[in-house]
Amino acid sequence: MTRTRRGWPLIALLGVLSVLTVSPFAAMLVVALSPAGEPTLPAQWPDSLTLDNLTRVLSASGFVGWTVNSLVYAVVSVVIILLTASMAGYAFAKKRFPGRQAMFWTFLATMMVPFQATLIPTFVLVNSLDGVDTFWGLIVPTLANSQAVFLMRQFILGLPDELFDAAKVDGASELRVYWTIVVPLTRPVLATLGVFVFLWHWNDFLWPLVVGQSNATRTLTVGLTTLRTEEIQLSVLMASAAVSVVPCLLVFFLLQRYLVNSIAMTGLK
Amino acid sequence: MRHRLRDPVTGLLFVLPVLVLFLIFRIFPSLAAAGMSLTNWNIGGEWNFVGADNYARLLDDAIFWTSLRVTLVYVAVYVPLTLLVSLGTALLLNQVVFLRGLFRGMLFLPYVTSFVLAGVIWRWIYQFDGLINGVLGKAGLGPVAFLEQSSLVLPALAVVSAWKGFGYSMLILLAGLKAIPGSYLEAARVDGASAWQRFRRITLPLLKPALFFVLVIETISAFQTFDTVYVMTGGGPARATYTLIYGIYDHGFRSFDFGYAATWGMVLFALVLIVSLIQRRFLDRGNT
Repeated sequence: MTRTRRGWPLIALLGVLSVLTVSPFAAMLVVALSPAGEPTLPAQWPDSLTLDNLTRVLSASGFVGWTVNSLVYAVVSVVIILLTASMAGYAFAKKRFPGRQAMFWTFLATMMVPFQATLIPTFVLVNSLDGVDTFWGLIVPTLANSQAVFLMRQFILGLPDELFDAAKVDGASELRVYWTIVVPLTRPVLATLGVFVFLWHWNDFLWPLVVGQSNATRTLTVGLTTLRTEEIQLSVLMASAAVSVVPCLLVFFLLQRYLVNSIAMTGLK
Repeated sequence: MRHRLRDPVTGLLFVLPVLVLFLIFRIFPSLAAAGMSLTNWNIGGEWNFVGADNYARLLDDAIFWTSLRVTLVYVAVYVPLTLLVSLGTALLLNQVVFLRGLFRGMLFLPYVTSFVLAGVIWRWIYQFDGLINGVLGKAGLGPVAFLEQSSLVLPALAVVSAWKGFGYSMLILLAGLKAIPGSYLEAARVDGASAWQRFRRITLPLLKPALFFVLVIETISAFQTFDTVYVMTGGGPARATYTLIYGIYDHGFRSFDFGYAATWGMVLFALVLIVSLIQRRFLDRGNT
């Protein structure tokens, strides 16, 4: 491939676009680090920087509560979805049982129904079970994830049957086969799926908005929207926003290469 | 073989948790949505069967038609914008070797954050004493009321969503570009094809499946826009950003008119279904 001198304008263009793309984050960070009430962007660069806003945000009980709720929402969902989807994926890929095809295609068909179209009946259902403003009401309805089941099934389909047969001939129980063969062999795809499920839930908004009605179950995304610049200073708002993005950035910096490759391979969004 | 006999039982047991979750929280609500749209269900849980009344009301509802128009205009602005930006950056990333990993990471970064965060940051960027008007002011221009003007607000929101979301499509298209054999382009170059001809005659046709996938995914996600609207405009000004999902939320959780809100949900379902069916048609044709 020829990468010639003509490359420099392209590199410059790409560099400008990249800097533009991250500039809103940079601006957020500058304002978050500006002393509250003092002039900052866009009028001028702040005269000094301080961590005061960040420490104030992290010591506000509301904010810390929302963060804990978001963590519970995301982490519990990741664990249960990985467990149930890998079990179901294994069964769909390697087991013969009545109704298997029909069930699998029904799962796929539900992908075509956007969650928002069923928002009202799902809320009414959870409400009638007294699940509004509870953690189970927040978490359980989001665990039925057809993308996860589909991905696990496709991956396990590619594992050789002989592995499972050999284990069974040796007398291993079904749970043992699942735990010692399926789980270790699907670790890469479980990791990818786990990252996506974490981000989906950490960044989720509409369902937590309607179900998490008090600070007891309110998540960080919903909490952020209750902060208004009429009541708190812009620098505090931006500090809250900056803290809320930290887990996403951790995932991004630690797992970027992984994430980037898996999007192209799996089409997960 | 003895273990073949245990397959049906264990298979069902392994599927059971997912099956129960799906029956209760996906399949039942999908059917219930259609049922509720035929009732006047309210917050107290009282309801009567009202037949097609909600659908008749929908056809007579100026707010619904506004909402449908807002949603379609939004799709028409957002989808080409996102496709253009993601294709442009993918082409650049495919050409440039220098610092490619860094650039790709910077361009992809907004994708891992939330639409709520994007909304919070961009609400400030757009406001009168915000970042853009600050820069415009230094140049002696503006201020521009991005979020307060009906004609500007939808494009302004589309820019926010495109900024937050284009990284995903960029990666899909970049993978598509990498799958094009270099020898094709090299051969065309030897034959004297210009850069534009190579792009138009080789790259674009071979990239079509990836482009089509991205088009469908982005169209469906544009139909579902809610978070940025909620954070930045609250559906205003004068319902200029009152998208379908915002209508579902507004009727369901502000007016507690659940039956009618479910009817709005059916419209969203129909629109997404149409897009999915068109996708299938094209994919089937591509396979034969």
